[in-house]
Amino acid sequence: MVEPTLKVKVANVGSKPSSLKAPFYTIKDMFSNKFLIKNLVSREIRGKYRNAMLSYTWTFLEPALLAVVYYFLFYMLAGNPDELYSVWVLVGIIVWGCFGKSLSSTVTSLTRNRNTIHLVYFPRIIFPITSVIGNIVITMMSCLVIIPIMIIFDLPLTIYILLVPLSVLLAGFLAIGLGILLAPLNCIYRDVEHLIRFIVRAGFFVSPVMWTYEMALERGNFGEIATYNPMLTPITLARHGLEGRETTLPSEIIILTILFGIVMWIIGSILFERNERKAVKYL
Amino acid sequence: MTESVIILQNVTLRFPKLKGILSIIKDKITKKDTSFTALKGVDLEIKSGEVFGLIGKNGSGKSTILRVISGIYPPDEGQCKVAGKISLLAGLGTGFSGHQTGVENALLYGSILGHNESEMQEKLPEIIDFSELGSFIDEPIRTYSAGMKARLGLAVATAIKPDILLIDEVLGVGDPQFRDKSKARILSLVKDTSTVVMVSHSFALMKDICDRIGVVNKGKLVMIGNPEEAITAYYELDNGGTLD
Repeated sequence: MVEPTLKVKVANVGSKPSSLKAPFYTIKDMFSNKFLIKNLVSREIRGKYRNAMLSYTWTFLEPALLAVVYYFLFYMLAGNPDELYSVWVLVGIIVWGCFGKSLSSTVTSLTRNRNTIHLVYFPRIIFPITSVIGNIVITMMSCLVIIPIMIIFDLPLTIYILLVPLSVLLAGFLAIGLGILLAPLNCIYRDVEHLIRFIVRAGFFVSPVMWTYEMALERGNFGEIATYNPMLTPITLARHGLEGRETTLPSEIIILTILFGIVMWIIGSILFERNERKAVKYL
Repeated sequence: MTESVIILQNVTLRFPKLKGILSIIKDKITKKDTSFTALKGVDLEIKSGEVFGLIGKNGSGKSTILRVISGIYPPDEGQCKVAGKISLLAGLGTGFSGHQTGVENALLYGSILGHNESEMQEKLPEIIDFSELGSFIDEPIRTYSAGMKARLGLAVATAIKPDILLIDEVLGVGDPQFRDKSKARILSLVKDTSTVVMVSHSFALMKDICDRIGVVNKGKLVMIGNPEEAITAYYELDNGGTLD
């Protein structure tokens, strides 16, 4: 028999640091589980495009086809929009899609992985984190569609193009706070995921996907109301970045959006850590 | 070998019942507790170097005890203390994804079990060799038979030695030849690992390798004793069940 080597310290199973520290220690958990996250993300992405002849082409084919549909829809309703309008719709669809898909997949991240949760323990914040990273990676791939667009519409290549990937990151970050807040609740009542599906669909019209910040400004008051929507910032920044100009979005709105994301992350991670253990018993 | 590496003190675990809006209000008013108690006041100390067995009927709470020890369900009451790195062998191949290759799934499953990249890369040749998959290792595992998947799962799960090994009924996968091989592999892992807690229905095996056995009935640990005593006690549960 092996001699007992008790260099390891005794851990009290199930005890965690105070959940008020959750916004920080969950980030530490992320880094110490890099390998796991990498494998889970690649499972998620590969799973999505399995057995598809065009495989990853779908990442940008899907938003491109949607943009065509919405362009014609809007063309019929409003008539003769400016020639770059279809591009702005496409950008809106990509960035909003990143937010919407991240949000709904975070909310369902615990319920989708219930088989794993029943059989092994690792910090469960990994599941929602993986969902968001997966969606951000997919959205980054769909951003490649920008290259042909820049050539077709003769858009200048400037440093501001970096705003496009940054906006995608911001959209994913805005989704995660709300997502992890609701994920444990979704283990108990699946009503949450139905509600979120509705919110994502309704949010599509409330957010500047089919309309732009500039269009809203022309309508006076409407422009001011639109600034209360956190998703205005990433979508508008991506559009301005693609156009190759310095953004006309007031910097206080950008700062407020980022602060909003950070606050949501703090609240979300605290509540996630507090409720996750009770919630998995319902799975 | 005197130090305890697993200590459960008065562990109680309840599972809440899923309720609709009306019954929540009803239970709030009548103050009725409808939750299901899976474990009731379990006290257990397992010493370093010990091979401990758990027996009991289906649904008695054996697997739940293992899950409490591995941290999946924190106890509602009482405490569970553990010293060392734990590995729970249950449901081999958790998280396998059908359209990725054997190698990718081995790495994925290894990382789910908590192993890091360098450990896994180091053990990969051994895993491939043990699983006897040959050239299939680079095929997507949706093309595998159930036995092949189980072999790969077992190869990964037993590749790295933890401080404390928890085994939940994973003996006997694959064809007879592989079953013998897998049994030998688990037994050698049991020998190399200092502390083992196992759940199994094959009493002959348990008698052979366990130092002590606990009998679980309806969420309670009704007795702990040497293998013969415990197995006798288990059969007495059926004839009247006077052990409570």
